[in-house]
Amino acid sequence: MSGAEVDRLVTMANQIARFFESQPGDGAARATADHLNSFWAPTMREQLSEHAAAGGSGLSALVAAAVPLLRPARTDAPG
Amino acid sequence: MPLIKEADSGTPPSAATEVVSLTIDGQTVMAPAGTSVMRAASMMGTAIPKLCATDSLQAFGSCRLCLVEIDGRAGTPASCTTPIADGMVVRTQTPKLAKLRKGVMELYISDHPLDCLTCAANGDCELQDMAGAVGLREVRYGYDGANHLCAEADESNPYFTFDPSKCIVCSRCVRACDEVQGTFALTIEGRGFASQVSASQSQPFMESECVSCGACVQACPTAALTETAIIDIGQPEHSVVTTCAYCGVGCTFKAEMRGEQLVRMVPYKDGKANRGHSCVKGRFAWGYATHRERILNPMIRRAVTDPWREVTWSEAIAYAASEFTRIQAAHGRNSVGGITSSRCTNEETFLVQKLVRAGFGNNNVDTCARVCHSPTGYGLKATFGTSAGTQDFDSVEHSDVIMVIGANPTDGHPVFASRMKQRLRQGARLIVIDPRRIDLVRTPHVQADHHLPLRPGTNVAVLNALAHVIVTEGLVDEAFVRERCDWEEFQDWAEAVAAPANSPEASEAFTGVPPETVRQAARLYATGGAAAIYYGLGVTEHSQGTTAVIAIANLAMATGNLGKLGAGVNPLRGQNNVQGACDMGSFPHELSGYRHVSDDDARGVFEALWDVELDAEPGLRIPNMLDAAVQGAFKGLYIQGEDILQSDPNTTHVAAGLAAMECVVVQDLFLNETANYAHVFLPGSTFLEKDGTFTNAERRIQRVRKVMSPRNGFGDWEITQMLSNALGFTMSYSHPSEIMDEIASLTPTFAGVSFAKLDEEGSVQWPCNAAAPLGTPVMHLDGFVRGKGRFMLTEYVATDEKVGPRFPLLLTTGRVLSQYNVGAQTRRTANVAWHNEDLLEIHPEDAEQRGVRDGDWVSLKSRAGETSLRATVTERVAPGVVYTTFHFPQTQANVVTTEYSDWATNCPEYKVTAVEVALSNGTTDWQTRYQAHTRRSRRIAQPEPAE
Amino acid sequence: MSASLPQIPWNADHAAALVARCVALEGPLLPALHVIQATFGCVPDEAVPIIAQVLNLSRADVHGVLTFYHDFRRVPAGRRILKFCAAEACQARGSADAIAQVERALGLKVGETRSDGAVTLEAVYCLGLCASGPAALLDGDPFARLKGARLDHLLTQVLP
Repeated sequence: MSGAEVDRLVTMANQIARFFESQPGDGAARATADHLNSFWAPTMREQLSEHAAAGGSGLSALVAAAVPLLRPARTDAPG
Repeated sequence: MPLIKEADSGTPPSAATEVVSLTIDGQTVMAPAGTSVMRAASMMGTAIPKLCATDSLQAFGSCRLCLVEIDGRAGTPASCTTPIADGMVVRTQTPKLAKLRKGVMELYISDHPLDCLTCAANGDCELQDMAGAVGLREVRYGYDGANHLCAEADESNPYFTFDPSKCIVCSRCVRACDEVQGTFALTIEGRGFASQVSASQSQPFMESECVSCGACVQACPTAALTETAIIDIGQPEHSVVTTCAYCGVGCTFKAEMRGEQLVRMVPYKDGKANRGHSCVKGRFAWGYATHRERILNPMIRRAVTDPWREVTWSEAIAYAASEFTRIQAAHGRNSVGGITSSRCTNEETFLVQKLVRAGFGNNNVDTCARVCHSPTGYGLKATFGTSAGTQDFDSVEHSDVIMVIGANPTDGHPVFASRMKQRLRQGARLIVIDPRRIDLVRTPHVQADHHLPLRPGTNVAVLNALAHVIVTEGLVDEAFVRERCDWEEFQDWAEAVAAPANSPEASEAFTGVPPETVRQAARLYATGGAAAIYYGLGVTEHSQGTTAVIAIANLAMATGNLGKLGAGVNPLRGQNNVQGACDMGSFPHELSGYRHVSDDDARGVFEALWDVELDAEPGLRIPNMLDAAVQGAFKGLYIQGEDILQSDPNTTHVAAGLAAMECVVVQDLFLNETANYAHVFLPGSTFLEKDGTFTNAERRIQRVRKVMSPRNGFGDWEITQMLSNALGFTMSYSHPSEIMDEIASLTPTFAGVSFAKLDEEGSVQWPCNAAAPLGTPVMHLDGFVRGKGRFMLTEYVATDEKVGPRFPLLLTTGRVLSQYNVGAQTRRTANVAWHNEDLLEIHPEDAEQRGVRDGDWVSLKSRAGETSLRATVTERVAPGVVYTTFHFPQTQANVVTTEYSDWATNCPEYKVTAVEVALSNGTTDWQTRYQAHTRRSRRIAQPEPAE
Repeated sequence: MSASLPQIPWNADHAAALVARCVALEGPLLPALHVIQATFGCVPDEAVPIIAQVLNLSRADVHGVLTFYHDFRRVPAGRRILKFCAAEACQARGSADAIAQVERALGLKVGETRSDGAVTLEAVYCLGLCASGPAALLDGDPFARLKGARLDHLLTQVLP
């Protein structure tokens, strides 16, 4: 994935996290992960996880905390 | 159905509840107090002769034809201006009245051309009817006196003609323009014998304030105002009731036909959304259906640099199917997807998402709502539980305060704007939040109490400031919040907005709105009575679009402005069926009825009926599809009725994405911009050529009825079905009603919907099911759909798109009345007479600094790209803000818009782009190259001559 | 209106300011039209959009009222304005002959302004001087019993 494409994912993830961070309580990481699980296609979530595993440059702390809660793509998908 | 002639009761109905009893011509009639004698007579089947009265307009009393005799009253009062009274005894036909009526008709006919047999109104003329009704046999004045027979006709408007020689100065046109449309473009000039209808200052209609809505033509009882089509073609012979295919108002029209030729579209009085009114587009701009540029044959090509080759339907479908199959085999199941159309019917959209989910086996399906109201879907679902507006249009008649945010209804939803203006003229108060001084801020007889001209990008800050005032000044409707919302969530929110940083005084620094204006607006919204919010893309097309929708929901909940008439949160949905497209499961994460694809129960019902396993993971949204295409992972796209290359932001990126794909299938009416990159072109059908349903901004499902055979051979749903079958997933519908039956069986909010019910009821607003068999006009009446209304915090986050020395101005975008979105339809009609190019609005100060004068070519440049267009210098925009429209592909406005988007939905931030404007010599290199590319891409190979 | 006011040349900003002063009145349109005519001698077509803008009416609205009243003129009048009554009571007392005589003397038809701008002749319908007809207004000053010598005298006042 190119630098520009990674930047885009990082920007979008940070934006999402920023919203949930502003909500009261401490469920922000969970809420961020829930949003990503609900709305991001598996490939995008995978790319984010890979980027996080490779150091996660640019990712906000909250995104980094949400990454472990991302659901991996279901392998029993229809062929 | 035979030509529908709606009854005309003469005067509008009375809203009173008290019933009065009177006697008319010996019969007892009961009617609400305040009803006119004329209307009461029509209720019992008696038509009192009339010329100046019509039931869409207030009584006028000028023609003196409707006189009646009333016991105990002297003289012969006009029945249109006389309200009924208990015990009144009326006679509508007496020798005295007959003489008086004949006398009135003699006067009219003494100054009227006698060419009935060759007149365009022959057969549809109330003057003819009245001459017959009063038994006119002679005109004792003769015809040699002074008259108006030589008056010249005004043919300036392409759609209708005004012939003053046939005018009887009944003033219906003037009153229609005033009362119904609210434009006040007409008047009666002079007086006495010299009276005549004048458009503005005695100007041709095209040069006047007229907006060509057609209300005057509809109201005119003679041939004075007549559609050009009637003059050219003749009277229609049958009607079909159908729904307009332009905007989200969803006006009901009678398509009046001669055989399969559409003569004219006349608004249907019983249309629940439009109540007998229309705008220039729906009323007149339907000629695109028979435009010469319409593609009628399927075409394919291996490479997008090849010319198109016309082929048979079976060859085109087989080619498309084989390509998608090949691509999936080579690049994986997720390498293809589809885009549904917000112009096509619910049934057609449902089939496209079914093809993607069951045929392609993935959830890579999306729709144009992505780029307009997807934040509405997310925000209102999160706060209220329903991805749609809460009221119906009628609700505006009960509003005491109307707040319009980021919408320009007089241009974008004109028929609804006319209804809103009616209410405003009755005294409702108005707040407008918009960077631009839209028409609604100050237009004849309507003036906003407060205009908040905020800096583009600061919506959430202003909404927070309004909330701050409401909370800190004790204006919260505590009873409502305690009962209907989560009190703790409310307290968290109230504490947050009460912080000093959210005060109007603190916000002014970046919003530019004077704090006192914010305070007064907030107080008015909170305490002015039933207060409604209407909002549009100026709210959603921002990086905080969803946040702003949530902030709007918060305001409505905090002030108790929900669950009752006159209040509510009303997104003005753009397209004729964008609400429907969303309802049908066009989003990559949702099945029909807004149920997440991972919801095993919901998905299970679909899997059972379709006999196929469905993907439980969310798919790709349109911007993600393009990103994936550029990355090489996404290779095939089936696009129905959507032109992403013209309408989506960051044109260079869209082009790159499309160019990287191996099979782009475009199903549309014309070779549009996206088709430049297509390999298969499947000609689509217009709304006139198919049966189905559209769902408007009120959640109102209305019938679209076929009036002519599809010129391309098939309805769009039939084409999707052919493609699905070729892909190996069988579809065998014989009529769209079967598709709706399937939708109803799978979607709880649609369970009670069927074509039979729609034929019977006219329309229903979803949810329509066992709990609400006739639909749901106003939502969340006793409780929110999700249970308790949810307050969520809306921290203002300034957009990353910032002005600087290189790009010191902010560009925002919008629409005009006569053109519609990318202009695919309206550019191919006479509407280009009003608006034939996009113009850049620039403030005099900014223009002067740059040496720009009105009409000059300017370059518009952002970090994304550059384009050129002509400037218009105006004070409608504030200094520092420029504005344009996107109706013409040659403008390439989206070359300039960026990839920034809403955090929750990726709805593009069209409304905030940092730009610079400078004088230029004409079009840019990009525009020139683009136009050359377009010409090359649209070549259609001529068939080889036979040996 | 008394003696003919000096006509100020048309000025859009000044016109807008005059109209703005009428905004607070109940029914501001007629007062606005009157003040425009009183100041500039007529209500030119260019005034209509300005009045419409300030009072938040449409141009059609203003045009309709403006053209309804014959007393509002669209082009400047002559230096003197003679309004001769042609209503029923004055007709009964011979105003038709009087008007014909005035027309011959001035070289004008009713409704016209002399090409040298000296005088405008208008017909009006009842000045309330019915017992003393034929009657007329010269620059707002009433004249009555306009036959014979009195009519001749009036004509000398019109064109000294």
